[in-house]
Amino acid sequence: MSGGRRRTVLVALAVAWLAVLLLAPLVGSQPVSVGDVISGDPAATTILLRLRLPRVLLALLAGGALAVAGVGFQTLFRNPLAEPYTLGVATGAALGAVIALRFADPSSLAGFAGVAVASFAGALGATALVVGLAWRKSGIESGTLLLAGVAVSLSASAIILFIQYLSDATQTFRMVRWMMGGLAVVGYGDVLWVAPWVVAGVGVLLALRWDLNQLLTGEELAASRGVDVSRLRLVLLGVTSLMVGALVAVTGPIGFVGLMVPHLLRGAVGHDHLWLAPAAFLGGGAFLVVCDLVARTVMAPAQLPVGVLTALLGGPFFLWLLLGRRRG
Amino acid sequence: MSAAGQGAAAPLVAARGVAWEAGGRCVVGPLDLEVTAGECLVIVGPNGAGKTSLIRLLTGLLEPSAGGLAWRGTAYGEHSRRDLARRIAYVPQIRPARVPLTVEEVVLLGRHPHLGRFQLAPRPEDHEAVAEALDRVGIGALRQRPVDELSGGERQSVYIAAAFAQQAELLVLDEPTTHLDPRHQGEVASLLARLARGGDRTVVAASHDLTFAALVADRLVALAEGRVVADGTPAEILRPEVLESLFGSRFELVGSAERPVPVLVLDEEAR
Repeated sequence: MSGGRRRTVLVALAVAWLAVLLLAPLVGSQPVSVGDVISGDPAATTILLRLRLPRVLLALLAGGALAVAGVGFQTLFRNPLAEPYTLGVATGAALGAVIALRFADPSSLAGFAGVAVASFAGALGATALVVGLAWRKSGIESGTLLLAGVAVSLSASAIILFIQYLSDATQTFRMVRWMMGGLAVVGYGDVLWVAPWVVAGVGVLLALRWDLNQLLTGEELAASRGVDVSRLRLVLLGVTSLMVGALVAVTGPIGFVGLMVPHLLRGAVGHDHLWLAPAAFLGGGAFLVVCDLVARTVMAPAQLPVGVLTALLGGPFFLWLLLGRRRG
Repeated sequence: MSAAGQGAAAPLVAARGVAWEAGGRCVVGPLDLEVTAGECLVIVGPNGAGKTSLIRLLTGLLEPSAGGLAWRGTAYGEHSRRDLARRIAYVPQIRPARVPLTVEEVVLLGRHPHLGRFQLAPRPEDHEAVAEALDRVGIGALRQRPVDELSGGERQSVYIAAAFAQQAELLVLDEPTTHLDPRHQGEVASLLARLARGGDRTVVAASHDLTFAALVADRLVALAEGRVVADGTPAEILRPEVLESLFGSRFELVGSAERPVPVLVLDEEAR
């Protein structure tokens, strides 16, 4: 992988990132121009600045965070199918949200915030449980971690089904809708909640990119070169879970971004995390904005939740990965 | 102890009363071992003799359950892991089967102990160290190739080059010739001999490959059940009676008197 090509790809991603930030708010079922806003049209101002711009910002943050988290987990587990939700963050969050939707009054303000708080707690609780299950005196064992993630996710899914069975149709609809994952926001509250987690989380993961590179040739060599592998694993798990947990609490689970974007970018910039991690942040953000753009216009005036669209892309992507591997 | 130089200065590495236990069983030691700067020391012994554990103790990856190690007179514990990594480079036997990097990228990984966390990219001196390592190991032509496409011998050279780029005084290798055919065994052996005799590296390797040991070693340490049972020059250790007690097999010697090469022979009744 030549340095020149990598630089070109990274610059192209940065340009795409800026382009979607500036252009995506202008696109939608209701045409709005910058001129309308400048001339003081209240409807245009509301649509552009209160609805579309925060939505695009949230998509940039969420997509970037999910893609970078995916890069970290895939390298940590040496597994191309690892993703940010592998350790049960999403199902834990869903369980928290479902409990809140069943037992709190969602029409009250406390109920609305309660769903986010409960799902954040669920995300962290599930991850803590998974890490606790894999904890040994000698450190955390990656294989056990993956198995514990599957077990906890399955259990949480079972409890979710049970609670749904106990719920009425409206509650069940809200639950299903939450689990589809979406970026519909009004104003900047959610963006301001997510931003510090994402900035801190992505910052830490970017600072760890040298250490992540060391994991590519195995833990023994990494340790011999001064990487504290068990501490690296703990930091990576902790930081990623906090960031993704905070995100899922707001957007619900948006699947496959953390899986697809890193894979596509490895083909373009290689496995070196010095390039891959920043590329994933830019590429993941731009990718999710474009997906969301399609999701909110393809069935206009109805808006498809973006999680449904990424899930629809995910299946064929797996198939493509599988066929590509067989050829390789 | 060793016939090699017992200078006034502290040895490069000194292990004193070092033992390592696993599951209530003593895998290594207690033993004393000194590594002298500039030598090429090969630790030989049968499977399960504790060679890999001893090698990992020497790199500082394993902490001894008793005794201690010192680098030029300073205990390992007083060095940070990173500090130690600037002095000791390791080429383990077991590595991931798939490594999605080019030769140059893998060699650059050897620079890790010299890099700062917030450094944005490798510095010119890192690239120089990589270029020198590729050159010294003789794999400059492979630099852009993916390591997964290389032969076993070439791949071993890449990891030795990475260890060289680490600019550590001591190179520690575990079974560097396992799974290699004779030609590649010879290449790795002559590479290590070259590096050790170049004078700027000290080499310690563990191996049950006696041909390899005979070809490169200035000094041999024989390990059996975790203990040092013989320590000396190749001429002193590579004798049929020493090897028979160590491996329980019969050997005949070819080569010269000061650098004998043992060859395994079968007993008459076994033929």
